[in-house]
Amino acid sequence: MGAVIARRIVGSIGAIFGATVLAFIIMRALPGNPARLIVGPLATPHAVASVRHEIGLDKPIFTQYWLYISHFFEGNWGYSYADGKSVSSLIGERLGATIELALFSFAITMLCAVVFALLVTYRRRPIADRILRGVAYLGFGTPPFFVALILLIVFFKSLHWLPGPEGRLGLQANPPPTVTHLYTIDALIAGKFGTFWSSIEHLILPGIALGLSSFSFIVRLLRANLLEISREPFLTVARGKGLRRWTAFRRHALPNAFLPTLTAGGLVLGEFLAGSVLIERVFNWPGIGSLVFDAIVKQDYAVVQTFILLAAVMFVLVNLIVDLLYAVIDPRVRIPVVATA
Amino acid sequence: MSEPTVSGESAANGSVPAPALSVRNLSTVFESPQRTVHAVRDVSFDMRPTERLGVVGESGSGKSALALSILGLIEPPGRVVGGEIMLGGRDISKLSDRSLGAVRGKDIALVLQDPMSALDPVKTIGYQVIEAIAAHEGELRRSAARKRAAELLGEVDIPQAERRLDDYPHQYSGGMRQRVAIAMAIAHNPSVLIADEPTTALDVTTQSQVLALLDRLVEQHGTAVILITHNLGIVSDFCDAVAVMYAGRFVETSGVDHIFLSPTHPYSEALLKCVPNPERLAEGPLPAITGFPPDLAQLPTGCSFQPRCPVGKDIPECQGQTPQPHTVEGPSGAASVECHFADQRIGQVKV
Repeated sequence: MGAVIARRIVGSIGAIFGATVLAFIIMRALPGNPARLIVGPLATPHAVASVRHEIGLDKPIFTQYWLYISHFFEGNWGYSYADGKSVSSLIGERLGATIELALFSFAITMLCAVVFALLVTYRRRPIADRILRGVAYLGFGTPPFFVALILLIVFFKSLHWLPGPEGRLGLQANPPPTVTHLYTIDALIAGKFGTFWSSIEHLILPGIALGLSSFSFIVRLLRANLLEISREPFLTVARGKGLRRWTAFRRHALPNAFLPTLTAGGLVLGEFLAGSVLIERVFNWPGIGSLVFDAIVKQDYAVVQTFILLAAVMFVLVNLIVDLLYAVIDPRVRIPVVATA
Repeated sequence: MSEPTVSGESAANGSVPAPALSVRNLSTVFESPQRTVHAVRDVSFDMRPTERLGVVGESGSGKSALALSILGLIEPPGRVVGGEIMLGGRDISKLSDRSLGAVRGKDIALVLQDPMSALDPVKTIGYQVIEAIAAHEGELRRSAARKRAAELLGEVDIPQAERRLDDYPHQYSGGMRQRVAIAMAIAHNPSVLIADEPTTALDVTTQSQVLALLDRLVEQHGTAVILITHNLGIVSDFCDAVAVMYAGRFVETSGVDHIFLSPTHPYSEALLKCVPNPERLAEGPLPAITGFPPDLAQLPTGCSFQPRCPVGKDIPECQGQTPQPHTVEGPSGAASVECHFADQRIGQVKV
C-alpha cells in the first residue's frame, strides 16, 4: 500500500510540473506584450521597459519559471493588471462560489446516477430503463448553457418554483459570516436556516444544468457496469450461500461496479471545480469561470496563469484521491500477485 | 439409482431410504418478446443420499440451467414454469425467495465452473468463507467465525489456512480457488451438492486433486452430488449414475456401468464414440456427431435428436412423436431411455 501511495504521489507531482511548464510556455508564446498592455498604448518605450523589469520579463527564462512556481506555492500570485487587486483576493472571493456549486452539482449527479442505475438494474424496470436511456442520450448531447436556459424558463419564469439568475442568494439577502466560503455551511454554522434554504434553492438550477451531461455519462457507465457484474458467477455463488438478493448485490456487485465510476467521478469533479464559464454567466454565479473568462479577454495574465495552475492542482489532487480510494477498494491494485503453491 | 425415474414414494418403505432430492417434471424457459427458449424440459429424477449423479451433454443442452433451476436461482428473463423439487421431503420449488435463502447453502449448495470468477475479486477469502458460514448462523462472533473458516479451508487442504484468510482471490491459484469454492459449499454439510463443471477450468493434475477432495468430503458427510460435466472420464471415475442431457431433456438415465457398456439412446452412443480411445487410434479420425444441437426456441417436432440421429433420421414415428421414457433392462443394469427404439437397441450397442 505504501508503495502505491508513493507512486501515485510522484505521478501527481509530475502532472502538476507538466501543467506549470505548459501554463508558463503558453502565456509567453501568446501574441501581445503584457508590459505594453499594462502601461497602455501611449506610454514611452522607457516606461514599457521599466514595467518589463518590474514583473521580471527581462530575466532569463529559467529564472522566470522558477519565480513563477515558487511564487505560486508561496501564495504570492501577483496582481491583476486590469483592476490592480491581488490575484489571491480575486480568486479567493470567487473560489468559494465555484467550489460550492461544484460540490453540490457533483453530489446530486452521483446520487441520481446511483439511484437510477440501481432502479433499472437491480429493480429491473424496463420502461424506466428506456426513459433513462433517452434522457441520458439527450442530456449528453445538449449544451449545458441551453439546458440552463430551459431550466430557467420552466422552473423560474413559468412555474416560479425556484429563484432566477441572481447568483448565490437573493439580491437583498446578506451572505452569512464567512467561515468556509460555502454559503450553505456558513449559514448552518451561523444558525441562519432561512439563508441556508435560500442558498440551496439558488444552487438547484445551476447544479442541474452543470451536472446533467455528467449525470448522463455516469449513469450509463454505472448501468452498464452493474449489468455486467450482475452476470458474474460470484454473484450466483453469493446467492447460493443463501444470501438475500439485495445483500449479495450490495456486498458483491456494487463495489465492483463502482470502480470504473470512481475514475469517471474524479474526472467530473475535477472539471466542475475548474468552473464553468457559461453556467456561471447564465446564472450570474460569481464563480471562478467568469473571472477567468474576463481575464483572458483582457490578457490579464497573472490571473490566467494562476488559474491554470490552480485548476491543474485541484484536478490532480482529486484524481490522486480517486487513485488512493481505488487502491482501498480494489485489492488487486495494492497487493501484487504472489506465487502460490 | 437403478430405476432412476420411479416415483419418489419410497419413503414409507423402511428398506429404501427417502430420496435426498427428487425432481419431477422440471421445466425452465427463457422468454423474450421474440422467442421462448426451452432450456430445461420435463426433467425428472431421484437421488438417494450419498448418490453421485453425473449430468452430461453438449454445451447448451441445459445442464447449467437445470442446476440453477433446482436452486431457484434462475434470473429473469428466465423462469421455472413447472415441476416439483422435493428436498428432504419438502417441495422447495414453491418457496418464496426468502424461504429459499434458508435452504440454499444449508441443505443444498452450489459449486461453479470457473474458479476465477466464482470469488469476488475485491473481498478477502476469509470474508467470503465467513459469509457462507454466517448466512445460516444466527449470531456468530468474529473470532469464532474466523476459526471455523480456517478449519473449513484446512479441510479442503489450503496450507496455512489461518494466515491465508486475509488474502484476496488473485493471490490464490486456480485449484486453490476451486477448493475455497468447495469449502464454502460444504460449510453447512448440505444434503445435496450441485457441482457445475467444477474441474473444467483446471489443468489435469489439479482436476484430479479437486475431484479426490470432493470425493473425500462427500464420502465423509454423506452428501448427494450432482456433477455436471462434459467429461465422460470424470463421470466414470466419480459417479454412480448418469443422466445424458440433450436439448433440455434427460434422454437416458442409468447406472454408470450401463452408459459405458451398453448406451442405448443413439445420442449417448454417439457421445461415447467421441471419447478418444487409444485402442482405436488405427480406425482413423475421431468421429464427431454431425449437425448441430437444435435451437431450443424452435425445437423439431417429435424426438429432438431425430434430425441428427443415424437411427431415426427418416422414420415418421421419430419425426412425429416425442418419445416418452422407456424403462429397459440391459446386461449392465436398467436404464430409462427416451427413444422409440430403446427396446430394440438395449444391449445391442457396443462402444
